[in-house]
Amino acid sequence: MNLEKVVFGFFVLLAATLNFGFFLGDIANPALHNVYELFAAIVVSLIATVLKFGDRTQIGAVHLATSLVADLQLISAALFWTFADGLSQEGLTPAATASVVSLSGGALFANVVSVVLLVVETVSYHRR
Amino acid sequence: MGNPLLAFWFRFLQDDDELPRRMQRWIPLVSSVQASATIFLILRRMRAPLIVLITIFAVSVLGLTLIPGQDGEGNPHRLGFFDAFYFMSYTASTIGFGELPYPFTQEQRLWVTISIYLTVIGWAYAIGSLLALFQGRAFRQARALQQFSHRVARMREPFLLLVGYGRTGELLARSFDAMGRRFVVIDADPDRIDALDLASYHADVPALAADAHNPGHLGVAGLANPQCDGVLALTNDDEANLAVTMTAALLRPELPVIARTISQSIGSRMQAFGSPTVVDPFDRFGDHLRIALRAPATYQLMMWLESGPGAPLPSRGSPPAEGRWVMCGYGRFGRHLTEDLRAEGLDVTIVEPKPLPDVEGVVVGDGFEPAVMKRAGVAEAVGFVAGTDNDTSNLSLIAAARRVNPDLWVAARQNRPTSESLFAVMEVDALLVPTEVVAHEVFAQLATPLLWRFLQEVPALGDRWAAGMLDRMVDHCGQELPLLWKIRFVAEETPTLMAWLASGQARLGDLLRDPDDRDEELPVVALMVLRDGECVPGPADDFVLDCDDELLLCGEAGARRALGMTLVVDATREYVLTGRHVPASWAWRRMAALRHRDEGHRDEGHRDEGHRDEGHRDEDHW
Repeated sequence: MNLEKVVFGFFVLLAATLNFGFFLGDIANPALHNVYELFAAIVVSLIATVLKFGDRTQIGAVHLATSLVADLQLISAALFWTFADGLSQEGLTPAATASVVSLSGGALFANVVSVVLLVVETVSYHRR
Repeated sequence: MGNPLLAFWFRFLQDDDELPRRMQRWIPLVSSVQASATIFLILRRMRAPLIVLITIFAVSVLGLTLIPGQDGEGNPHRLGFFDAFYFMSYTASTIGFGELPYPFTQEQRLWVTISIYLTVIGWAYAIGSLLALFQGRAFRQARALQQFSHRVARMREPFLLLVGYGRTGELLARSFDAMGRRFVVIDADPDRIDALDLASYHADVPALAADAHNPGHLGVAGLANPQCDGVLALTNDDEANLAVTMTAALLRPELPVIARTISQSIGSRMQAFGSPTVVDPFDRFGDHLRIALRAPATYQLMMWLESGPGAPLPSRGSPPAEGRWVMCGYGRFGRHLTEDLRAEGLDVTIVEPKPLPDVEGVVVGDGFEPAVMKRAGVAEAVGFVAGTDNDTSNLSLIAAARRVNPDLWVAARQNRPTSESLFAVMEVDALLVPTEVVAHEVFAQLATPLLWRFLQEVPALGDRWAAGMLDRMVDHCGQELPLLWKIRFVAEETPTLMAWLASGQARLGDLLRDPDDRDEELPVVALMVLRDGECVPGPADDFVLDCDDELLLCGEAGARRALGMTLVVDATREYVLTGRHVPASWAWRRMAALRHRDEGHRDEGHRDEGHRDEGHRDEDHW
């Protein structure tokens, strides 16, 4: 067992699950989407990105790309949430919530690709 | 050719045999691989610091949003994520705007205190790791390599690849720089590369501290560049020179290679790869000495021409061609020189500490001992050679020999550049400095192709001819070696002269005149004309030039520019050759042509035909 692979798999999967948890629920209802979960998703996604640094294989490059996409989407969602909650007059309207959640939905897709890559990599690995 | 579409069009539009050779042959390049490896290494090493930093930030920000606080009126208020992140950002980077948006409660301050220590440690760790990586040797080397390969790839004019920047390399670099030739330098010793950075050359000289045994290094240094037009292997290490010769011959067989060696076996191994020019300084010195024995002025002329621009005229030594010579030190140098001297019919006595059973005329012993001097017969000898591989020994040998026989003609070998001043004080008649011999030889071969040809011809022309040529050069150009350059009389180089050359009346003396005052001769000397592979050395003023002739000239830079004007500007050509002033600008020429036509009508064609033809041809040029 390779500890590096355990940590790597853990963070990639955790990023996907947290993202999924935030995304789950009625897209326009702010009560169903906890901002702490978004925060946790961002932090874990960033850590997963850093873990993917410095891998010279082709699959490593695609891994890094998916993570960067997820980071971009999640950080956009966080910025949008910050804007809607703190800076605009209306507060967190259903429309604003829908935007935040749909952005995180895009990140979820990238995270799913990441998990698929992880599974593919694992399956194609033969112990000789 | 990364793009297959580009490759397709390239092949489609160009014939296969027209492809540059480097496309057909794969030349290894070391830089891109190494540089990307270094970047990946940095990313990999930065993983831990970055994750620590992200974690510390996440924990601090999360804690700050969870801990209850108060607003200005004492109502409960929690920091949002944005406020918490903003606060942690400026606190962690030690900017510290204060407690925003409201003053903190005691609980919040407790948490912030912990966070400050954590984040400062996190930042210090991350920045410290990054700086350590940038300072690392591997990273700096990769960066230097990257910059070097970019600079070489941007070279847009022909350049030479100089492997080994020792004393020889430095001398050559100076000569080539003075001539305006570009070059790229590789040396295994980083100190020598630093020395090159300090030396102020006119042109930009890309230099890299790298091992020349690696073909990848030679590849980035220009072997893969189509502009590279020669490789010089001049390191102190024969093995490395062999490796460079081999690499160049295998990867770019069409390139000329000049390699230095002092070992005959390495020399013959080099010859096995293509046809490199192998320069052996000991061998060359012997050859030169043989020329000097027969023809001192020829020797003087050759030495001067080989020394490069600005060299002072060497003195004309005359080694004694009859009598007995004493040779101290029978190493590689001594053996070469003894063979050469004996081939000239001279009697040579060898002094060597070790007995040499299979060589005749050997006196065993240390040369500086008076008893050995006596046995070797230094008192009756005419020539003396101090040829050991130790400068101190050589100097004391010269001193001891001169004490016995002050009239000796002395040749010596200088091994280290630092001994130069000592040998200069000793006023040796002929001094072998191996590095300089190699530098001069390489310069003569590469400066202009005609110079090398000329030097091949000179020994056959005799001493008197060489003395006459030397007098002419000193008369015209002074005691310092002027520039050497060649002119080829073809339409691309000398567009104005083609009709004159075709007339069969093209006397060389008419061409070499001052464009400001044609009664003055230009201070240049024509060394040689090459016509259909045949040499005419030292053409006189009434030599008749023809198309496709090549002319080797020496003269000052000013004279070269003046002659250049004559070769390309019609008006200057007209004045220099005939003394007529013709207008140079387009408008004046048109007006002059109109006036001529009017006069022609009035005079009913009394003008001479040749002149009118001249005018028409000028217009065709424009």
